[in-house]
Amino acid sequence: MYDTARKALSAALKAGADEAEVYLVKSEVTSIDIRKGLIEGSKENINQGMGIRAVVNGAVGFASTNIDTKMEEAARTAVSSARIRGRDPAWRSFPTDGKYPEIKDTFDPRIKDMELDECIELSTNMLEGASSLPDVLVTAGSFSRVASRRLILNSNGIEVEDRGTAISGFVDVITGQEEPTTAYEYDMSRKMDIDFFNLGKAASELASMSRQGISIEPHRTEIILHPFAVADLLTGIFSSAIDADNVQKGRSSLIGRKGEMIASEKLSIIDDGLLEGGLETAMADDEGVPSQTTPIIEKGVFKSYLYDNYTAGKEGISSTGNASRHSYSSPPSVGIRNFIIGYEKSNVIEDTDKGIYINTVIGAHTANYISGDFSVEARNAFTIEKGELARPIKSLMLAGNVFDILRNINGAGRDLRQVGGTVTPSLRIADMSVVG
Amino acid sequence: MKNVDFYDVRVVDATTTSIIIDNGNVEEISVNYTRGGGIRALCGGSWGFTSADGYFNEKKALNAASELAVSMNSRNPKEKVELTPVGKPTLKDLPRIKIDPRDISIEEKVELLKEMSKRAKLEGISSTSAVYSESEVKVCYNNIDGLDCEYELIRSGFAVSAVASENGIYQAGRESKFGVKGYEIFDENNALELATSAASEALQLIHAKPAKGGNMPVILDQELAGVFVHEAVGHASEADLVLEGSSILDNMIGKQIASPLITIVDDPTLHEYGYFPFDDEGAQSQRTTIIKDGVLNSYLHSRETSARLGGDPGHSRCQGYSMPIVRMSNTYLDNGNSTFEEMLEEICDGMYLIGSRGGQVNTGEGIFQFNAEKAYLIERGEITTLMRDVSLSGKTLEILNNVTHVGNDLKMNSGRCGKGGQLVPVSDGSPHICISKAVVGGT
Repeated sequence: MYDTARKALSAALKAGADEAEVYLVKSEVTSIDIRKGLIEGSKENINQGMGIRAVVNGAVGFASTNIDTKMEEAARTAVSSARIRGRDPAWRSFPTDGKYPEIKDTFDPRIKDMELDECIELSTNMLEGASSLPDVLVTAGSFSRVASRRLILNSNGIEVEDRGTAISGFVDVITGQEEPTTAYEYDMSRKMDIDFFNLGKAASELASMSRQGISIEPHRTEIILHPFAVADLLTGIFSSAIDADNVQKGRSSLIGRKGEMIASEKLSIIDDGLLEGGLETAMADDEGVPSQTTPIIEKGVFKSYLYDNYTAGKEGISSTGNASRHSYSSPPSVGIRNFIIGYEKSNVIEDTDKGIYINTVIGAHTANYISGDFSVEARNAFTIEKGELARPIKSLMLAGNVFDILRNINGAGRDLRQVGGTVTPSLRIADMSVVG
Repeated sequence: MKNVDFYDVRVVDATTTSIIIDNGNVEEISVNYTRGGGIRALCGGSWGFTSADGYFNEKKALNAASELAVSMNSRNPKEKVELTPVGKPTLKDLPRIKIDPRDISIEEKVELLKEMSKRAKLEGISSTSAVYSESEVKVCYNNIDGLDCEYELIRSGFAVSAVASENGIYQAGRESKFGVKGYEIFDENNALELATSAASEALQLIHAKPAKGGNMPVILDQELAGVFVHEAVGHASEADLVLEGSSILDNMIGKQIASPLITIVDDPTLHEYGYFPFDDEGAQSQRTTIIKDGVLNSYLHSRETSARLGGDPGHSRCQGYSMPIVRMSNTYLDNGNSTFEEMLEEICDGMYLIGSRGGQVNTGEGIFQFNAEKAYLIERGEITTLMRDVSLSGKTLEILNNVTHVGNDLKMNSGRCGKGGQLVPVSDGSPHICISKAVVGGT
């Protein structure tokens, strides 16, 4: 791996790059597919690929490949692309600081060495959990284990390798003949600590509880969002608003608002590349900048945008370690790491006299990412009466604004959960508009 | 291969170039060379699948896939999977590109995109972006039955967007066109004019009023109706979802499920973005009528689902060299004969919903929610106030039955569909349609 990376690096320099960087990933994935209550098949994917950035005259070119024999051609293409771009006065250099923090619980040898047998067994546990309730059918589901290595090298001397593992399970269930209701449950972890039976069972319980839903009249009320709904609704829009690239380009409604009170004074949010066992935890970000912890909101006050090396350079500050790549085939851009939402915990359902509890939402990606306005379909929603989930609601539209929600959060549960990169409890929000 | 009933091998070679211009500056030029393969093996009722990058060892990968299938089947035996037989596909009427994008220098492409950004930079526009992508793909397919076929395809396209801002309000406008086309796609679609219209759209929306929701009659434009056709009807007609119990259309073949005005077709042979000459199981592509005059006529099938439910294969697709699943191609609601004026007259008071910011459906429960780009109030048969933040939601079958007029101005839109985490090029379309009652959501 190092050999290949070094060869590509020198090919880029030889082709005339002032600076060059190589990003190389290898991963091994085993997955099990479930369909209609049965294990349908299994997959093994061996992935590897390389992305090369070359700088000529302060302009960056990019090329990528997964073909060993194309590596030098890709390096030359990156250099020629860089030449086509005019000089970018904002460019400073690739990262140079190579002192990396220690991280914990991101690699579990039991996941790396897991055999197919065990993958099937865990998938079966999940299915059995889902079938432990009557009249529930698992429509689709999956299990997967991943072991990956990522190597980043640049011509400024950066050389950092991260290894990681992850395991995940997902089930989608349906129940009821006449008026079917569905629900899903999902979990992902860096180590072997998922109870797959309970994962399956939770999906079935939720679907069963959601049967015979009632209709409700449009009104304004307190709502509680399950961590799934919080992650879907808040993370995407808010992370786009604090992305320094969007800020610098005038695409954020948080421009010039650092130091302002933008959220409930009990709310804090941090972006943490170092969280123990976090799904987004690594020694470095996706361009080799050491990971760090960045406060975003402290007691309601907006503290910081998130930067990669380039956007930080534009403002003459240091990267917050938020370079992120979708895959080896795309250059890095700003992205969140572990996005941790903190609020004083309480028995939030018990403390709510009247309101609506929402497990998941669909259509969050249709929101207006700049204004924060959204209108989504709430799924597996329940009325709350006197501190208890009372009746399932058949169909519910939830409309509002993400930035208003930040101000109107007035409670959080004890159910802290990792949903993708978001770590959040369920959150209660005052005065939301719902349409039945 | 040891004890497998079936295997097939797909090898894909692709070169993709993309250019992103942001606020008039080159943000990204990237070129990606990929090669890899996906191998399926079937033993009894179990599938094994392996994929590998680069110039991989085909024999080894096939052995690994076979082993997965065999061991799954011995541990977890289930009903044998049958596959509808397919013959060797014929490559006919392939799209012919006029200008090979590889003959155009990157510099020239960058200049054109910069010009588009300039055209989108109207007064009041705070930021613009223009994106171009082209890909040359070669797909080679072979299977245990000796089928061996391949094709090459060039796809290209562009997207331009503009953001208007005023007093803390931001609104975006976007136009895009992707197709099985060469560089001529810019001229054929008046890319420069589209850039200006994206900007005008954003500027208009700044002054639009947030909509008030409610139950009302609506007209959907071609784009929003096309999204409804793809998301709500198309996905529900995918036979894998039907078989897993996730479709409202289960057991409905031959039944009247929509207004007799409705005919919905999926046609991969059309030279739109979802085109393919044969699918990812080597099955000849062919037109499928999903709904004919309101009656559910056919699901969309892979070889496996067609063997189980009847119907023709030809809709099995994958992204790159992933595991193929049942997918749409070019899906549209066919022309009727109403005019837009007739629809306005019919509606009297309601809303005209235009464009789409995406949406989602639950095909199992048959409910959906889509956000329109904008809408106009219809008052006494006249189009009046512009509204924004409007959504449409409801039950798929109710909407299909509530269609009272179908226009004669079918228009296709291109995009990518992400079912199962795999993005594949698709297009969808419709003429204007009029719906007697729908749930419109506002803020």
